[in-house]
Amino acid sequence: MAEISAAKKLAVKVSICLAVLAATMFLCTMVGTQNISLEKVFAGPGKAPGENIDYEIFIGVRLPRVILAALVGAALACSGVVLQAILRNPLADPYILGISSGAGLGVITAVLSGVSWTFLGGSPIAVFAFAGALITVWLVWCIGRFTGKTQVTSLLLSGVVVNAFFSAVIMFLTSIAKSEQVYSTIFWLMGNITEKSLSVLWVSTICILAGIIGLFSISHRLNALTFGEEEAKGLGVDTAKTRVVAFGLAAFITAIAVSLSGLIGFVGLIVPHGIRLVFGPDHRQMLPVSAIIGGTFLVIADTVARTIVAPAQLPVGVITAIAGGPFFLILLAKYSRKISWLK
Amino acid sequence: MSGIIEVKNLGFSYSAQSTILKELGFEVMPSEFLAIAGPNGAGKTTLLNLLCGLLSPKTGSIKIDGADIKSYSVKKLSQKVAVVRQEFVPVFDFTVEETVTMARIPYLGTFGFEGKADKEIVAEAIEMTDVGQFASRPLAQLSSGERQRVFIARALAQNTAILLLDEPTSFLDLKHQVGIYDLLKRMQIEKAKTIIAVTHDINLAAQYCDQVLLLGADNSYRIGKAKDVFSAEEIEKVFGVRTFVGTIGQEKFFIPLGEFAKDSGTITTNLKEGQQAQSQ
Repeated sequence: MAEISAAKKLAVKVSICLAVLAATMFLCTMVGTQNISLEKVFAGPGKAPGENIDYEIFIGVRLPRVILAALVGAALACSGVVLQAILRNPLADPYILGISSGAGLGVITAVLSGVSWTFLGGSPIAVFAFAGALITVWLVWCIGRFTGKTQVTSLLLSGVVVNAFFSAVIMFLTSIAKSEQVYSTIFWLMGNITEKSLSVLWVSTICILAGIIGLFSISHRLNALTFGEEEAKGLGVDTAKTRVVAFGLAAFITAIAVSLSGLIGFVGLIVPHGIRLVFGPDHRQMLPVSAIIGGTFLVIADTVARTIVAPAQLPVGVITAIAGGPFFLILLAKYSRKISWLK
Repeated sequence: MSGIIEVKNLGFSYSAQSTILKELGFEVMPSEFLAIAGPNGAGKTTLLNLLCGLLSPKTGSIKIDGADIKSYSVKKLSQKVAVVRQEFVPVFDFTVEETVTMARIPYLGTFGFEGKADKEIVAEAIEMTDVGQFASRPLAQLSSGERQRVFIARALAQNTAILLLDEPTSFLDLKHQVGIYDLLKRMQIEKAKTIIAVTHDINLAAQYCDQVLLLGADNSYRIGKAKDVFSAEEIEKVFGVRTFVGTIGQEKFFIPLGEFAKDSGTITTNLKEGQQAQSQ
């Protein structure tokens, strides 16, 4: 049998995963407190608003939310893959370098200052979260470069320090805030996917997909970077440039995800590990597959979050944490003999 | 014929207080096997890092294939020079085949997938280094000697004229030490590789290498054939250890004599008829 090239093998895997994602998205769009009929959905919009409610729920309410969940899941999973690679640390997640506390600080600033303007259809909370996340990552990067030559360690340390400091500031601001302001901040911190306007969805989709494609284009260099700085240079990788691009794009897509949905934990940590356990550590494969499976995972988690205690809704971050932990342990039990860092 | 590596007046220091290398000059011919020996701190690994472009010379110059090393991009240099460092276990579980395939990164395009020709080069490297039997196993599941062979396979698949190795046999038992040097010698002969190996083992260096560069801790150096560079006096001067130097045929061998060594002057050998062991 002729040997199938790595690119073709990957194309097959990605196609299968995309089919799973599409099927999941379709099924999850059908599920909700209001039962909808597929026949009516395919009938198209009614002549007047409210004439075909099923269609309006499917297209106008659930589909954007499901797409949003898939986007956020894909962004967080990819970011986790990339940060674990460049930091050479299996425990790294998208929030390890201060994005969470920076975005949190942005949100509480927006809530306390009571700003009401919007930008590109985004709420002030989203805009402040995005700005807070990116400014913090930039700060962590500068401190990391300033303090040490072994950049990986100094980056991690400056991330931990900035996270701790900003968390303290968040706690201080929360303690002096009014209760309704605290409530909206805490709800955001728990991670929550809500319906967004189409313009926000479009802009986010383009930015996140562009970021993922950018990361995929350097994925073979990420493989070399996991062997360390010297090894990667020996293999012809411009390590400084690759790290800046990888770090910048990962921070960018995480900041978008965070500004869309708050802090959703576990996806960025567990999905990359799960994919690595099942498919191996080649980043050319891990990035696209993690993006799709991360999206699928969050679509399911969000569907559970909005239906399990209907008509109320749970923050999706609660579901990812509750479901993600045991799911990961099952994978770990099955594949643990394969992974050396556990030994 | 000019050397594939030309080092002139090379100087390097990590700080203003201590100079690691000073006015070092030597030339390595194509398909030559050079050993770099010397005590700890003499600058062996520093020199290796200079030769692979990881460090930049403070003074002097290094030419690779006729062009100054500073004129090469990281990618271009990695198509000329491959490096094998001391073996280690990577963080993530790449298999042997995946690791060797990474050697093709300097030749890949934007989205980084290997073609048929790359796969053939990888397969050939795997075969020559005899790592095919565990090609699908993660590196962590191999012994140190097996892992070192994998890194040598990767360097071979990188398809460079020059191969640099940093103490390739440290942590290995006798059989694997000899096995690695046999493999390197085969690569030199069959693939016309120029090989530079940093080593602490002067016996292996003398046995396998065409030239030896002996670096002293005081920035002094000697370069030449092992039989000329390694003498009892020179070794005592550079390493500070008394050494018994014998010969088997044309080749020298060395036995360091520590404080408690029994200096009887008699050697019993199991040499074949016609061979003689002589002390110097």
